[in-house]
Amino acid sequence: MTGAFDFAPAIALLPLAAFVVALFGGKFLPKRGALAGSTALAGSLVLSIWTLVTVAGGETYNADLYTFVAGQDTLTLHLGILIDPLSALMLVIVSLIALLVFIFSLGYMNDEGETGLPRYYAELGLFSFSMLAFVLADNLLMAFMFFELVGLCSYLLIGFWFREEGPPSAAKKAFLVTRFGDYFFLVGTVGIFATFGTGMFAGPESFPHMAEQALAGETSVTTFFGLGEQAWFTVLGLLVLGGVIGKSAQFPLHTWLPDAMEGPTPVSALIHAATMVAAGVYLVARMYGFYLLSPTALGVIALVGGFTALFAASMALVKQELKQVLAYSTISQYGYMMLALGGGGYVAAVFHLTTHAIFKALLFLGAGAVIIAMHHNENMWDMGGLKDKMPVTYYAFLSGSLALAGIFPFAGFWSKDEVLYETLIHGLGGNPLLLAGYAMGLLAVVFTGFYTFRMVFLTFHGEPRTETAEDPHGVRWNVKLPLAVLGILAAVAGVINLAPVEKVTGVHLTFLHDWLDKAPDSFGTAVHHYTGDHGLMHEFAGYTATNPLGETGTVLAGAAVSLGLALLGAGLAYRLYAVPDPEEHTDRLGSLKTLLMNNYYQDEYQVWLARDVTLPLSRAADTFDQSVIDGVVNATSSVSLFASERVRRIQSGIVTHYATLLTLGLVVILVVLGLYGGWF
Amino acid sequence: MVGVVHYLVLSAAVFAIGVFGVMARSNALMFLMSVELMLNAANINLVAFSLHYGNLTGQVFALLVMALAAAEVAIGLGIILVLDRNFGDIDVTVPTTMRR
Repeated sequence: MTGAFDFAPAIALLPLAAFVVALFGGKFLPKRGALAGSTALAGSLVLSIWTLVTVAGGETYNADLYTFVAGQDTLTLHLGILIDPLSALMLVIVSLIALLVFIFSLGYMNDEGETGLPRYYAELGLFSFSMLAFVLADNLLMAFMFFELVGLCSYLLIGFWFREEGPPSAAKKAFLVTRFGDYFFLVGTVGIFATFGTGMFAGPESFPHMAEQALAGETSVTTFFGLGEQAWFTVLGLLVLGGVIGKSAQFPLHTWLPDAMEGPTPVSALIHAATMVAAGVYLVARMYGFYLLSPTALGVIALVGGFTALFAASMALVKQELKQVLAYSTISQYGYMMLALGGGGYVAAVFHLTTHAIFKALLFLGAGAVIIAMHHNENMWDMGGLKDKMPVTYYAFLSGSLALAGIFPFAGFWSKDEVLYETLIHGLGGNPLLLAGYAMGLLAVVFTGFYTFRMVFLTFHGEPRTETAEDPHGVRWNVKLPLAVLGILAAVAGVINLAPVEKVTGVHLTFLHDWLDKAPDSFGTAVHHYTGDHGLMHEFAGYTATNPLGETGTVLAGAAVSLGLALLGAGLAYRLYAVPDPEEHTDRLGSLKTLLMNNYYQDEYQVWLARDVTLPLSRAADTFDQSVIDGVVNATSSVSLFASERVRRIQSGIVTHYATLLTLGLVVILVVLGLYGGWF
Repeated sequence: MVGVVHYLVLSAAVFAIGVFGVMARSNALMFLMSVELMLNAANINLVAFSLHYGNLTGQVFALLVMALAAAEVAIGLGIILVLDRNFGDIDVTVPTTMRR
């Protein structure tokens, strides 16, 4: 019987077909390949939902499709598909948002008369293919391959307007910075293959399972550099985390993401907010069973996440351009997901990933609509009063903003609250690192509320501050439809996991938890295996949960605190910016403003690192190469040149000389033989 | 009594004369004659040992060497003719085309 899983490869291959069609035939198609892409993504979405339904029926799938290196008694490299609740959920998110972005692009690119559209749609199709294949990957090497491919697509799409000055430079920066992280990922992948002989994510032959058995003392694995098993697993986990930090734009490799906003806005929505940036977090969630074995790695994840959440949110406070605010907020929100993963909140992280994908795609598409209306001016200080001119965009954007700020009862409130709650209870269980992460995350809530509503008030409220804002350019259905769909989802998506309500009322409402728990025991990717009473988190990571006010009390207190702080930030923004003629208050920050406007001089510091440390170092290496290595090679050749120049003189061409040499040679041989043979 | 040593000394002397001729002379005909001398030095050796050991193999070989020498002279004269035709001289130091 053919089921959904037989069509699973098509989920990824349909966008690949759209890529080929748009690339070679886009010029001749109406809408320049947008329809091919939309159709393919619609097909992918239907298949993904079918897969989701099938997984809901309790079926999962883990199969090799194509072996490209068959090992004899050693590791085998293959492409395969792993469908468990996590990947099924992610497939639906990716294909849904990609479809909406294709539709939105009709309004943002086609209607604006852009050139090079076949290239745009081809690259978008290639991206969708790579991202879906990454989600489907059943082993680390395949994941790495598609991880790189999405990075390439990101590079191509950021640099879409390559004739201007900014985009190519931003594209290069994004590529190089994420690449830097990917080196660690590659080394980690090789390390995992060398240690376990496999890169499988799930099943009894998978590396998280083998690592777990090794730590339990049932089997043993080869470790390197004389490290113990747990220490070595920590090293491997941190190496892979390098790629995650690059791709998910975590501190200190976050600098590429704000620059990536040079790309077209639909691209920012799809790649730099909802999906590709999620790849890093998804990867950690995918191999969560491995990370749970190492408390150190978890601590690092939580600390990096918490710090990034606060750090990026503080930079978003002073930005003047709409997309810049959103870029920093994206970094900050991914920080929350990392905090949740590090803090033992697997479900919370996936939950926040889901809701964030929805509301951040919404906010970016809303920003895209505003940018169309403003004739591609992104400065918020030139906007104002757009509320009445574009109501659909306004209400959708508002819904996304409420979700982002974490205001009850929008989606972001539930997920962010769960992230903070999980971190808090595990931190109180005796882990000061997590408490530090929690404190930073909590402070970032105020910032988030503030910058979100500063953005909303500056863009949509007050009086129009320029002529363009007084008479904005209208948008069509193809912009409004994705906004409406996502706007509704951003308001209601929280219902998939109402953990606080369940704890208070006792009604069973944590559907996402149940959903992720559906993975079969043989996969070892179910929630109870990770964080259940006898799960890895308690056995190996040593996390315990403590609820100082009782479970209900702690949940309510945590929710009240985070909601209160979000409202505080939002209220402050209301006081300062919800007036007819708002003015900049950032000057009150004094020198802090300069620091924030310059992004803590992170770019300067990295440029310094490149120019004043790496460049002289590579110059020195180059000099060494030129003088010593090349010198040895050149000396060898000049010695033989010189020697042969001398030796060739005996080739006089005169017969007599040859005869003389023959005779002399014979005499020498005779003398030598005589000496050694003892004739004399 | 004339022993095998005398023959060997004679043979060595003839051979040395031949080698000297090859190395010191530049006339191709002198070359050819010097080569004949060396071959005959070898013949003397063969015949002397044949007498010394009392079997005929050495003498048979001497006959073979003579036949070989005749053939060699034929080829050598051919070479000398070609030499004369190409270089207008039979001085062996003139043609140095082997150098290249």
